[in-house]
Amino acid sequence: MDLTDKEYVERCRDGHQEDFSLLVDRYQKPLFSYLAARVGNFAQAEEAAQESFVRAFLSLKKLRKPESFYSWLLGIAGRVAKEQFRSEVRHREIHEAAEAMNATAAGQPDEYPLEEAIAVLPENHRQVILLRYYEGLSCQEVATRLAMPLGTVTKTLSRAFLLLRQDLQARERAEQTVNLIEQP
Amino acid sequence: MNCAECRDNFIACAEGLLDRREELQCKAHLETCAHCQAEYGELARLQQNLIARGQAAAGVSLVQTVMRRVHREQFTPERETIMSKLFKYRWGWGLGTAAGAAAILAVILLTTPKAQARALEVMAKGAQAVAKLTSIHLRGQVRSAPQDNFSAIMPECDFVTIELWKQLEPALKWRVDKPGRTAVMDGQSTLLFVKPDFGYKVPQASPSGFDTQWLHEIANLSQTLESEINSIKSRGWPVTLTQEQGADGKSKSVISVEAKSGLGADDYLHNQFFSTADTRRDYVFDNQSELLESVKFYLHSASGDQLVFTLDQIDCNPPIDPAVFQLQLPANVSMGGPMQMLPDNEKYAAMTSEQAARALFEACGREDWTEAAKFFNPLPDNVKQYLGGLQVISIGTHFSASNGAELVPYEIKLKNGEVKKYNLSLKRDRNTSRWFFDGGI
Repeated sequence: MDLTDKEYVERCRDGHQEDFSLLVDRYQKPLFSYLAARVGNFAQAEEAAQESFVRAFLSLKKLRKPESFYSWLLGIAGRVAKEQFRSEVRHREIHEAAEAMNATAAGQPDEYPLEEAIAVLPENHRQVILLRYYEGLSCQEVATRLAMPLGTVTKTLSRAFLLLRQDLQARERAEQTVNLIEQP
Repeated sequence: MNCAECRDNFIACAEGLLDRREELQCKAHLETCAHCQAEYGELARLQQNLIARGQAAAGVSLVQTVMRRVHREQFTPERETIMSKLFKYRWGWGLGTAAGAAAILAVILLTTPKAQARALEVMAKGAQAVAKLTSIHLRGQVRSAPQDNFSAIMPECDFVTIELWKQLEPALKWRVDKPGRTAVMDGQSTLLFVKPDFGYKVPQASPSGFDTQWLHEIANLSQTLESEINSIKSRGWPVTLTQEQGADGKSKSVISVEAKSGLGADDYLHNQFFSTADTRRDYVFDNQSELLESVKFYLHSASGDQLVFTLDQIDCNPPIDPAVFQLQLPANVSMGGPMQMLPDNEKYAAMTSEQAARALFEACGREDWTEAAKFFNPLPDNVKQYLGGLQVISIGTHFSASNGAELVPYEIKLKNGEVKKYNLSLKRDRNTSRWFFDGGI
């Protein structure tokens, strides 16, 4: 039986550190996807994802809301991606780095908020999205895994999509507002 | 159906999971409600996006790597950057401090993407170092039942010792041992002995046999390493490299390869045998000699990763006592051999695997061991005791396994009342074209 993020975090803090592998297993794919969209390179995304998990583990005691583990992990991953990028800049010619930055920014302008939006979904909604799309299970398999009726799974997924849509639209509006303010 | 009900059914509708009546109601609503129609279109776009992202991340497998790093970090009392270390010891560097910094630097360098190239280099050098073997001896542990098949992985079992001796020159000879089973090829014939009283002899010198192929492949160390290198390059198998200090105080390179069998989790043979398992394989090389020193296989399964095989001793070119390849069987052993043509062979050769399964079980039910032996020869006494007097409840339709066998689902009631539901593995004999028992009881 799968535990909630909060339960896994609490078990890790209580000394069951092997349970951290279950959190890695749960979030490795969306985290990788989030980082791949940010850094535009699968090898770097994988490296950054590893580093993010390790840092998360080492800082687990500092996590104030264990139920928000995934949001917190994305925050760490964002910082790791920035550090990785800065490190790249240091090792490349300035113009190459600028090109890479532009390419990354232009190539994936609206991709990575998706994982951020997933992170703020209620846990039961997030769980079905992750299992259905990142683990590649069918709705029936998700139902079996979570011991839920199939109809509950499809309804939860439908509601999760509507919540995701609302969140992404809100982010888009906020982005447009920022752009308007920043324009001279 | 109103808007809220329709939206609750978006996914079920998109994936064809509604019953006919609900589907018609949902579609009728979508045709008349522009708002829901727009939402449904957006959902499809978002769904495609999620599917693409899930597919891009499908091969990601970080659990082992992260947990290895986590374990390593736990033994580091304070997490320090190289720069902080340098500043901390700025005025008092000794050799020890410098060495410590160098060790940390090595770990950091080896976690970059360049680690893959370095890992391949270590493996290539390891392969080169054992390219010309005249003999080899391997000793390790495998999770398996002592008497069972050499290649079967049984995660629920304790470890048993498995050992291989192989002479490559002047003539090929080999022997593989488990506590309850031995296979020997003495240069003339190939013999299997299942303790205490079952033997099977093939009058040919086989390069491997009786499900020992996977171990022979590992024993061909240079080819194994080259094959891993090819899979890493061509199939994108993830590889990591870490540096460790061995029990002998020497530095070691540990290369972890995530090997994929290519079989789906629903494949009957998935994770049952070494050749059909998804595993993480850890190869430990001595940095000075560049030789492979040990191997560990971890089985990936839904319930987690489990160590299932270790090679702790790898002796290259050892002298092997010729007596190793001679096996004296006890007098009470029932010997089997190649299948012989029967007077009515055509009748059996014309059977489907389902018909053969039924014929075998019905013969066991009647305790007609002569008939049963046409599919299962010789029949050990313990099998006769187990299957004698059984009743066939059902025989299903076969499915094919990747090893060439046909697996026939069956349900039988044993004379002790136990109902057994499993798959009988049958293969066709090349010479007689008859089906023979290959496992599954």
